Amino acid sequence: MLVEYPKPRWTEKFLLLDMFEGLKTTFREIFKPKVTIRYPEERLEPADRFRGMFRFSFDRCIACKLCAVACPIDIIYIDVHDEQREVDGKMKKLKVLDRYDIDVKRCMFCALCEEACPTKPKSIWLTTKTYELASYDRNDLYFNMQELEYWEDRPKYTGLPEEETPKQLRGDVE
Amino acid sequence: MINPWMRYLVWPLVKFLVAFVIVQVIVAAMNYIERRLLGFMQARLGPNRVGPKGLFQIIADPIKFLLKEDIVPTSAETVAYFLGPMLPLIPAFIVFCLIPYGPPPTFVPTDTNIALLLIVALTSTGVYGIILGGWASNNKYSLMGGLRSAAQMVSYEVPFGLSIVGVLMLSGSFSLVKIIKYQEMHVWNLFPQLIAAFIFLVAMNAENNRTPFDLPEAESELVAGYHTEYSAMKFAFFMLAEYSSMTVNCCLMVSLFFGGWSLSLFGWGITTEGLSHLGVWGGLIGAAIFITKVMIFMLIYIWFRGTFPRFRFDQLMDLGWKWMIPLALVNIFVTGIVVLAMKDLKFNGEILLSIIGAATIAFTLFLLFRGARPAPAKVAHAR
Repeated sequence: MLVEYPKPRWTEKFLLLDMFEGLKTTFREIFKPKVTIRYPEERLEPADRFRGMFRFSFDRCIACKLCAVACPIDIIYIDVHDEQREVDGKMKKLKVLDRYDIDVKRCMFCALCEEACPTKPKSIWLTTKTYELASYDRNDLYFNMQELEYWEDRPKYTGLPEEETPKQLRGDVE
Repeated sequence: MINPWMRYLVWPLVKFLVAFVIVQVIVAAMNYIERRLLGFMQARLGPNRVGPKGLFQIIADPIKFLLKEDIVPTSAETVAYFLGPMLPLIPAFIVFCLIPYGPPPTFVPTDTNIALLLIVALTSTGVYGIILGGWASNNKYSLMGGLRSAAQMVSYEVPFGLSIVGVLMLSGSFSLVKIIKYQEMHVWNLFPQLIAAFIFLVAMNAENNRTPFDLPEAESELVAGYHTEYSAMKFAFFMLAEYSSMTVNCCLMVSLFFGGWSLSLFGWGITTEGLSHLGVWGGLIGAAIFITKVMIFMLIYIWFRGTFPRFRFDQLMDLGWKWMIPLALVNIFVTGIVVLAMKDLKFNGEILLSIIGAATIAFTLFLLFRGARPAPAKVAHAR
């Protein structure tokens, strides 16, 4: 594709009109609204399909382990035991979740676990629109069952740790 | 009767110091204003975190410069490396005592009859520090930055000097005070010397290594040019020198082409005589007008930086030698004829030149603001 620009007239060339046109443009730009988002005060709302932090529902989960199978990096750890329970007057064999842990620090947020989940609605989903997952301690990013369900209640990290090296290590040095 | 010591040493020194402090405050503020305004032009906000609207950035930056580690490269030529940032500072500071900030005698530190010559001579020595710093860093990018700066300064010193000549011929004096007084009795030199004013504007941009002529510190080519190896206070000195000489050049621009502290046409309006009736307050008003004009030109520097892309080096040299110098010479020639005609034929050619200049400005503005530009781009598909 060729773009043919109009030939400038000699007056326009002589008076450097293109340069002044550029100056005009930048001058107008001063008063236009800016694109900057001042992060901690202003935040972008992620799109609806944005894959953020996990949310798990213990009540919906049927302990089928399909999510753990689907996980390409095997960071979902599930332990299950069978239990005889009385449901509607009959004794039934039920699977009971003992452990449902996700190592979020290794997660790549592919949402295959959410896709694999057979329950309706999903018992694990990533559309929480939460992306502020940074942590000072890698162990903070290992979430167990309760934490996955109620991570909003987890105490928020405030400030740097007072002691950078754990006490045990210091004992070793001494 | 004033003691000659007081008259020639103490008072000029006091005036110089006061002016110096004010100008340095402007320089410090310019750093913030530049970053902020440049941000606005680029659809972002610029520094806005430190204090209200980021205003404390003015204080935060010097503190950072003072506290940072001062690294000297092991292979640097130590003495020259230390001299590098100092040398451009000295002329940039001395020049401040030659600038008329307001109506004389109170607001002019020293009124010599060769002020303009001195200023041009002093500002051009600023390049030594840059070359020395670039060479002493023992870094090829620094050296290339220094050399580029040298070539650029030498090239643009010529149109810079030549553009002043026309003004000198009209006003008949090297003294900035006399040039300003001449302008308030006639018109701003901008109009009769429009070409000279334009050349001066371009040349002063090139002199200070500012975009579009910032080849000595072209980030994309030379890391940071001559100050690649400089950190902390030494780097701050380079910046200080650059902004100081920017201020000086703006002061020159205002006093040569924009009537200095006066706002008058053919003696009507705010003139030195009118201000002298108001005593000290008149002087302050004059100084305020002068500083306002200077600030406008500082903003124009930033405006240019936000608008124009960097020149290639051969384009820079072409512009300097093939366009600016011939244009300046033609301007001198025409001005010479006009001055002769004024003297011998009693023909007021200055008015004619002013009318031509004003008409050119008006025509440019008309073309610029006429609304839609003619003929949108045609799109033709390739054969």
